[in-house]
Amino acid sequence: MFTTPRLIAIALCAALNFSVGTIVYFIKLPIYFDSIGTILCALLVLNDRTTAFLCALTAAVTATIVTGILVNPFLPWFVGTDVVIALVSALLTTRGAQAFRARPMHAGRFVGWVFAAGIVTGVIAAIVSAPVVAYLFGGVTGSGSAFVVGMFLKAGQGLWNATLASGLIIDPIDKTLQVLVAALLYRATPSDFIAMVRGAPARP
Amino acid sequence: MTPNGAAAFAIVMVVSAMIAGPRGLAILYAAAAAFALVEVGPHWRIAARRAGLIMLPLAVFMLLVWVAFVGRAPDEIAAQVPGTRAAALAYVTTVCARLFVIVLVLQLATLCFDKETPLAVIRGLRAPFAVKRLLVLTLSLIETLRHAVDRSYTALIASGIVTRGLSLRNFRNGWILLQSIWLTTITAVTGRLRDKWPVEDTLGLLRPAIAAGDERVSFRDLSWLAVALAVGFMAPLAGWYGAP
Repeated sequence: MFTTPRLIAIALCAALNFSVGTIVYFIKLPIYFDSIGTILCALLVLNDRTTAFLCALTAAVTATIVTGILVNPFLPWFVGTDVVIALVSALLTTRGAQAFRARPMHAGRFVGWVFAAGIVTGVIAAIVSAPVVAYLFGGVTGSGSAFVVGMFLKAGQGLWNATLASGLIIDPIDKTLQVLVAALLYRATPSDFIAMVRGAPARP
Repeated sequence: MTPNGAAAFAIVMVVSAMIAGPRGLAILYAAAAAFALVEVGPHWRIAARRAGLIMLPLAVFMLLVWVAFVGRAPDEIAAQVPGTRAAALAYVTTVCARLFVIVLVLQLATLCFDKETPLAVIRGLRAPFAVKRLLVLTLSLIETLRHAVDRSYTALIASGIVTRGLSLRNFRNGWILLQSIWLTTITAVTGRLRDKWPVEDTLGLLRPAIAAGDERVSFRDLSWLAVALAVGFMAPLAGWYGAP
């Protein structure tokens, strides 16, 4: 399952998660952008859903550990969110793989898959990460989304409601953007690299 | 100390920090200080400075959100009572102290092997070969990605597609930069996988280089692990002692 080209793809996607996630964390944008590599990994390693899930999960956990040690001490507590993002990516987002690489691009199908996968991933990620944000960190982590939680708290919402509402607003937008970037990167990836990762002969 | 001992110590301390109250955190700080003095020596300042650099922006951000903006602590919000900024400040201080000790311990554990290369540290870990190989490849590819960022950024500035400062052009063409970085990296990786590594037998050489070095857990490792476990046991108890 973990062949050398797949390990390379996993490491590359982990490095992508680390690099983009770190930049967004430091400039405090109200989004996360730290799962592009996870989604992309599931798309690249699309031999079967189990392989896609395990490879995407490995990329996510590797990036979380490296980022947690070097940059963001909050991140390792969200490993459960990594699991669900990898799962949804393997089970749902990969179903749009053909639409993402179709030439010429069918804009309607492409956008439809991006929205469907992004919104489902976002809603599930928000529900899974809300207890961690609310009960472990009192609603505010180091990401820019804390401002949105703060706004809800200021408006008189309870901690749990504020955290969940903030997640349900931000996560679908964030994950839709992440699926969009991952789909565009997947579309731009040369066929021979994908064939190498999947262990199949290259297709045009 | 071996990398295994440092990793075990760090993991137990991090878990303890998450369950410790303010008094428990004081015990954790004492253990971290002892570890710094014994294992890291005068270089502990480097770890403290690095931890400070990571935590300072976070602390400022949390002060801004909790104290300046929300103005109440989470327990006051949960109890639906009008809160105070002082309580919010106390809450931020506790969270920041907790995160600082986590970052500090991780930096101290890393600094124990400052004179060794990342490859040598990974070599010493008792972990499956696949895990070690993945760690080595990830660290290597982070560097490759950084080089790709530099190359693509310079090339796109030179060709006038993006600019150095903030501009509308950057917003419009940011995607080209991202695509360029990705393709530069993929090209480099494909070249290595297909030509360079097979010719140089890089992966064949990697196996003995990282698989054979599993270091045995030393007495020193076990001593620090015992300290961490004792601290982890005492930290939650310290919060209960004297509680109303």
